[in-house]
Amino acid sequence: MNINKFLVKAKEADIDVAEIKISKTTSSSISIFRGEIDSNEFSSTSSLTARGIYKGKLGAVSSENLNDSSIDSLIKDIKTNATLIEKEEEPIIYQGSKDYKKKNTFNKQLSELTTSSVLPLLYEIERKTKEKDSRVSDVQVSFQIQEEEFVFANSYGLNLKTHSNYFVLVGEVYMKEGEITKDNYTIKFGNKFEINVDEFVDELVKECSKKFNAIPIQNGTYKGVIDRDAVADLVNALISNASSEQTQKHSSIFEGKEGQKVVSSKITIDELPLKNNVFRTYFDSEGVATQNKTIIKNGVLETLFYNLETAKKAGKESTGNGQGASSIGVGFTNITVKKGRLTKEELINKVNNGVYITSITGLHAGLDPRSGDFSLQAEGFLIKNGKLDNFLTLFTVGGNLFRLFNDVVAVGNDSKLMLSSIETPSIAFKNLKISA
Amino acid sequence: MISKKLAVELINYASSTGADFVELFYEDTKGTSYSFENAKLDSISTNYVNGIGVRLLKDNQSIYGYTNDLSKKSLFKLIENLRSSFSTSRCIEEISDLKQQKYKRVNKSIVSLTTIEPSTIIEYVRKGINEILNYDKRIVRVIGGFLVKTSDITIMNSEGKLFKKHNEYGRVFLNSIASENGKIETRFDGPGSQNGWKFFTEELDFIKLARENARKCILMLGAKECPSGHFPVIIGNGWGGVIFHEACGHQLEATSVAKGLSVFSNMKGQYIANPIVSAYDDGTMPNEWGSNDIDDEGNPTQNNCLIKDGVLVGYLVDNFNGRRMGEKGNGACRRQSYKYNPTSRMSNTYIANGKSTVEEIIKNTKLGLYAVSFNGGSVNPAVGDFNFGCSEAYIIKDGKILEPVRGATLVGNAKDILKHIDMIANDLGLGQGNCGSSSGSIPVNVGQPTIRVDDITVGGRGGSIDEYK
Repeated sequence: MNINKFLVKAKEADIDVAEIKISKTTSSSISIFRGEIDSNEFSSTSSLTARGIYKGKLGAVSSENLNDSSIDSLIKDIKTNATLIEKEEEPIIYQGSKDYKKKNTFNKQLSELTTSSVLPLLYEIERKTKEKDSRVSDVQVSFQIQEEEFVFANSYGLNLKTHSNYFVLVGEVYMKEGEITKDNYTIKFGNKFEINVDEFVDELVKECSKKFNAIPIQNGTYKGVIDRDAVADLVNALISNASSEQTQKHSSIFEGKEGQKVVSSKITIDELPLKNNVFRTYFDSEGVATQNKTIIKNGVLETLFYNLETAKKAGKESTGNGQGASSIGVGFTNITVKKGRLTKEELINKVNNGVYITSITGLHAGLDPRSGDFSLQAEGFLIKNGKLDNFLTLFTVGGNLFRLFNDVVAVGNDSKLMLSSIETPSIAFKNLKISA
Repeated sequence: MISKKLAVELINYASSTGADFVELFYEDTKGTSYSFENAKLDSISTNYVNGIGVRLLKDNQSIYGYTNDLSKKSLFKLIENLRSSFSTSRCIEEISDLKQQKYKRVNKSIVSLTTIEPSTIIEYVRKGINEILNYDKRIVRVIGGFLVKTSDITIMNSEGKLFKKHNEYGRVFLNSIASENGKIETRFDGPGSQNGWKFFTEELDFIKLARENARKCILMLGAKECPSGHFPVIIGNGWGGVIFHEACGHQLEATSVAKGLSVFSNMKGQYIANPIVSAYDDGTMPNEWGSNDIDDEGNPTQNNCLIKDGVLVGYLVDNFNGRRMGEKGNGACRRQSYKYNPTSRMSNTYIANGKSTVEEIIKNTKLGLYAVSFNGGSVNPAVGDFNFGCSEAYIIKDGKILEPVRGATLVGNAKDILKHIDMIANDLGLGQGNCGSSSGSIPVNVGQPTIRVDDITVGGRGGSIDEYK
């Protein structure tokens, strides 16, 4: 679509200020199962979101039709929708930040990879996984590459672009011992394709093989270590309460808590949107330059996340955390929990007797980020005399996020970046309510 | 839309390197979403989805691609990419035409939501929101919404068949948030239908729903924490059916059954449930949330019996996974949009009515939990472990409802749970939700009458159930 044509036509149609975001994505993926290609996918799609201020109200439309011939219909939808809006806050389309830390995360070398060129590697993973342990019954390996070009433009002349690509490699193993089946998966992602097959297979099989000979755990309140993979989901829910949109709408426990201690002093959490990884983004969904910042410092809530509207309401500047397409909310990228000093083994040792939780499941139903209450299906091991003991049969872990993050025993040093863009080490807590 | 002539050319080009089946799936969808912040319309957005998905099958291989650039050049380029996965000679004949197929309509004619003035829809939702806001001062926020989505699908395949179908979905949302002394509680309701405006004005008592939403939000705000342990749980009708959806439904989809990756693979004819349990997946219920005239590869939807008197009698099968299983598709192939390779999925899934009454079940429970509604759940089909979180629950003591409790999570294993259903009432109800799986997020009904599970693990933060003895 000719962006200028859209902006000019919008102006002619009495839309005071207009904005358009266009995304072009190509993707290919392949997966193998029992020695053959199970599925192979290719895609190429474009989409746009256009917003405009008409008679003092903001209208929006999203479409996958990028032909210039659809411009009139987009403008009509913006005007129709704007006419219906009852929101009283004055809408804002952004004039631009002074300084943008422009940098693309596109890696040319990765873009030259094809699904067929990685096929031998996938078969190697499958073969080595099967060879690793006689209990391996099945293996699925899949690989995906995605590339996106994104353009943000508005009537003020703001024109921002990004170009990015990344891969995701997923290995899933199923192991059988008698009637009992266990499974495990490993994910690697990034924009530099460097895979150590032996390490990948080792991680995949080793973790799965530990899941047999499970023993039950007694109901009770335990100390425990929550592994980085699992604790990342809890950090995500906790930090979502630092959204100024939630606090302003009385839906966050952090309301009125800026500058106050909200969690244990052992916890420091930064948002690093400019960190050089696949999630790097130098402007937000409203075109505001992003910035690295500390959200919680030694347990104290330093700042909330603001978009243009919530910042205006609070008499502050946007922190570059506008997120969304047609409707802009508040979001975040690259949340990083500051590492502690202890290794995972030392954390386990410190807990001495308790549980080591490796995964939690059912977050959408069992965790309410607003109240902080959670009760979740969990997997993990017993910790006995400072060491890992048997794997545990199915159990649940319950608590309240805010109390949990006040009950921190120690923070580990084994940080890892997750696909959710949360980077956190494992953390040891007191008072985990376990039910089995 | 692409022309029939171009579709024939594309299908023949795609099948020339050895594919044994080729299918084009063209989608034209428009969605309008109203979002309310308290009683004011906060945003309204219109969303157009318009593209084509191309599927090539050869034996047990599936090659899929999609694009929304519908130019001839782009479509040939996509197919060039897809067909390069095969390198044998043509194994199916070229087609010369596409013949439109007839089928029995499941969804009857409706008063379309697209004919209703937006201002009427806005006032409708506002009344419900105001009902909640006026219920109690502790309700600090209500997020409301209304969704209208129309979808026109054309499926064309290498058997020379052309199918057209139309769906229209309407759904209203109410999400109330209550707060007191630093404690927050939320309550969500989201009924939906394919029965147009009639559903909202004649079938749904929206004001009653809003009042109940508010009452339950306040009730749960003041509720004690749920105790934990093993004990009997009565699971309410309608949305309670999420237990069957998670604990059994997903494991009966050919997606995992075909590869032997389901706990119920190769178990047809065996008892997997208490003999009082029969269960169905019925895509043919007129105008229901999960219904379709035909599935997303053109097969007519069916009322599939999954469990009959405790015995596993059938799976949900799509044509592709059916190849591994030696079965034909039974109308269960679904996808969110042209961006998803379709596979077997649920539609309207339910446990059939039993002979008990709800009162009898409660009266026969000495100490347990009555879980009335749920936030949702999830399952690992290969291992069978599932979980679901309760949004409304009560302690039952000596055959009577004692008090509400919050924060209950039920966990278990699919292989055990169905055998532990020991009572089934006669109050079958359905609840609407969206189910997320490998072919995207699709509308489904879950359903059941009130049932009792005699022993299940309950996770909660309120100490032991023994404290109630």
